[in-house]
Amino acid sequence: MMFLGSFQTVIRRQLATAAKSAGPKLTDVLIVGGGPAGLTLATAIKTSPILSGFKTTLVDSQNLTERVAKFYDNPPEEFTNRVVSLTPKSKKFLTETLGVQLMHERIQSYDGLYVIDGMTDARMALDQDGMLDMIEILNIQASLLHRLNHLNLGEDSFEIKEEVKVTSIESSTKGDPTSWPIVTLSNGEQYKTRLLVGADGFNSPVKKFSGITTRGWPYDTFGMVATLKLNPLSPFAKLRGWQRFLKTGPIAHLPLPGDNATLVWSTKGNKMSQLLLQLDPKVFSALVNAAFVLDDADLDYYYKILEENPNEPVTNESVIEDINQRINQVWDSLKNDSLIDERYPPQVLDIVAGTRARFPLKLSHADTYCSDRIALVGDAAHTTHPLAGQGLNMGQHDVEELTKALEKGTLRGLDIGSLLCLEPFWGECYSFNNVRLGMADKLHKIYGTDFTPVVQLRSLGLQLTDSLGPVKDLLINTLTAGSSK
Amino acid sequence: MSSIIIRNQPVNRQFQHVARSLPQWFIRHKSTAASPEEIKHFQELAPTWWDTNGSQRILHKMNLARLDFIRNTLNKTVKITDPNTFIPGYNYKEFLPESISHTIAKEWNQSLTKELEKRQYNVLDIGCGGGILSESMARQPFVKQVLGIDLTPDCISVAKMHAKSDPELKGKVEYREVALEDLKQKDYDIITCFEMLEHVDRPGDILEQAWRRLKPDGLLFLSTINRDLISWFTTIFMGETVLKIVPSGTHHLSKYINSSEIEEWFQEKHPRDHKLLDLKGTMYVPTQGWVEHDCARIGNYFMAVKKLH
Repeated sequence: MMFLGSFQTVIRRQLATAAKSAGPKLTDVLIVGGGPAGLTLATAIKTSPILSGFKTTLVDSQNLTERVAKFYDNPPEEFTNRVVSLTPKSKKFLTETLGVQLMHERIQSYDGLYVIDGMTDARMALDQDGMLDMIEILNIQASLLHRLNHLNLGEDSFEIKEEVKVTSIESSTKGDPTSWPIVTLSNGEQYKTRLLVGADGFNSPVKKFSGITTRGWPYDTFGMVATLKLNPLSPFAKLRGWQRFLKTGPIAHLPLPGDNATLVWSTKGNKMSQLLLQLDPKVFSALVNAAFVLDDADLDYYYKILEENPNEPVTNESVIEDINQRINQVWDSLKNDSLIDERYPPQVLDIVAGTRARFPLKLSHADTYCSDRIALVGDAAHTTHPLAGQGLNMGQHDVEELTKALEKGTLRGLDIGSLLCLEPFWGECYSFNNVRLGMADKLHKIYGTDFTPVVQLRSLGLQLTDSLGPVKDLLINTLTAGSSK
Repeated sequence: MSSIIIRNQPVNRQFQHVARSLPQWFIRHKSTAASPEEIKHFQELAPTWWDTNGSQRILHKMNLARLDFIRNTLNKTVKITDPNTFIPGYNYKEFLPESISHTIAKEWNQSLTKELEKRQYNVLDIGCGGGILSESMARQPFVKQVLGIDLTPDCISVAKMHAKSDPELKGKVEYREVALEDLKQKDYDIITCFEMLEHVDRPGDILEQAWRRLKPDGLLFLSTINRDLISWFTTIFMGETVLKIVPSGTHHLSKYINSSEIEEWFQEKHPRDHKLLDLKGTMYVPTQGWVEHDCARIGNYFMAVKKLH
């Protein structure tokens, strides 16, 4: 027995020493999440002459350095389905401040938005040359990884821990939020960090650890995305984004290079998005065309038939035929053919296989973006309805302001994990984001009803905005984040 | 005492009436010491010194302005030696496109920082309290080492404890509970004396002792408060009584020192070996923190003095 006892003590002692020698690694900034916000922050820190000395570690559950990075050198032929609009301000930050070379051949700049109220046919055209760019999220991520790779940073300067998850976060001194947090990863490694950045999306573990509360509500709405194949464009067609507010939610059709476009179709409830997800691609394409031209009543009729006869070739054929016929009727009723290109988006022929996907939409806004040793950026701080194309750009703005706050704090000799250093970042971002979240939320609500007075008012508002230059400029300015050309 | 008489007297003599009222042992003790009441006051503040949302928030905010003032002053002492850096005319921002003027400013700043980093300053922080300024200075790439001294023992232990939480500060900052006149080392490049002269009985002695410990070409940074009605209104009435953003009992109007008195002290004691590099007023604006202004005769002020030889 005695022998066994002393043996156990020895083992215990050895384990204790092992744990001690493999204690947490020290890092100055630990970024959880390698999405656009996380990677942009890493690049911003490493390209800033003031901040580049801070050891930075980025954690992501995906394989970034191979799977995502290879997109830069070997991009697929077709466009992927996660496409966002990039404001000139965000683009300037990426390309000029951070020196990122985006894959230009996969970006489509466009000159305006054409907004239609599906119930009253009220219209508004927002035009500005090079107003926004449509870009794949993978393009942004891969370009950032390419930039980081070319900085040739040693492991003691920048490190990516990939295909790992955060399993736990705790303060190194219990009960003292100003002590450095210790982050444990799923591979067992531990990091003790001066500043912990949550770029880890809506269900952010970093936000949970920080105790920062979030306000918001789910929209009971799904956003469906797909890459569209278009009828070859007429040379006179305008390069613009198209958005129509239907009873079931807004549908948007945004240009990509060549005969491609990307679709964001928001629909209420689970049932309808399920249906759209399962439809035959040809029928789906016809429905997208119908959604921009026909009335809500027509669409309801098609949804009903398709739902009753799931994927029946005969039904599909007849629906497609009917849609085409009705669209032609509408076109024939126009005064002249040039109005077709003016009022309706290019026709969809097909969708790229495997690009249809849906995700639930919600509004959320964290009460604050920072606390001791913690900063939240991107979707961890706020999520929005995609109807105004602001989500990614708000994240880019967060990163830009956080970088500025860290630079200023470093020049003033502050600990970059201290609240004193982080406070200005939140101060700069909160109201900027709140305006955009509120705008998208109000639009969603105003257009989510068929209550006649509201419909009349909103149509009047849309027409008025369309005819009032200064109001329109203000709207364009907000959408493009104030970087008018 | 009328202000005219005060101006004609050296600073260390102005406070003799205060010294006279103190017990004998204290006066004989140290001429650069603070009174036991002051030490007791700061002893009570020590535990919350680093709570940036607590009683010292306004001091933490002021520290940001101090560091800006120090860096701006140092930037003016630096000469860019890199021949590749373009140094533009003063109004270049008006006639160059934004992107070009932005690049020029960026490169210029980088060269300044590079030059500054070649200097490795030895810094003495007199009246370091919990170490707010000492830590900020120790993190600067142009600073080799900082020694913070203070006579309140609890502040020194708080400062030591707080510095331990940041591995970057290891070996760069040191704290000692020691009176300035007992400090042997006499070769500091930078001596700082922020929000401190208004807490001692014989500020002239502090200035003299600090001046002796400065290397030729060294810089003395100090800040305190003008003795006027506006200072009383902002720092004592509003700060301590109404808004309560400054711990009550921190300030005593009679101990405030006019910026002109400090200038006169230098004129009288060190007429040939000092140069006033900069003098700026500073005021607290609730939404913006501490902002600099040019009216240094009113309220709080920052001063930078260079020792010529």
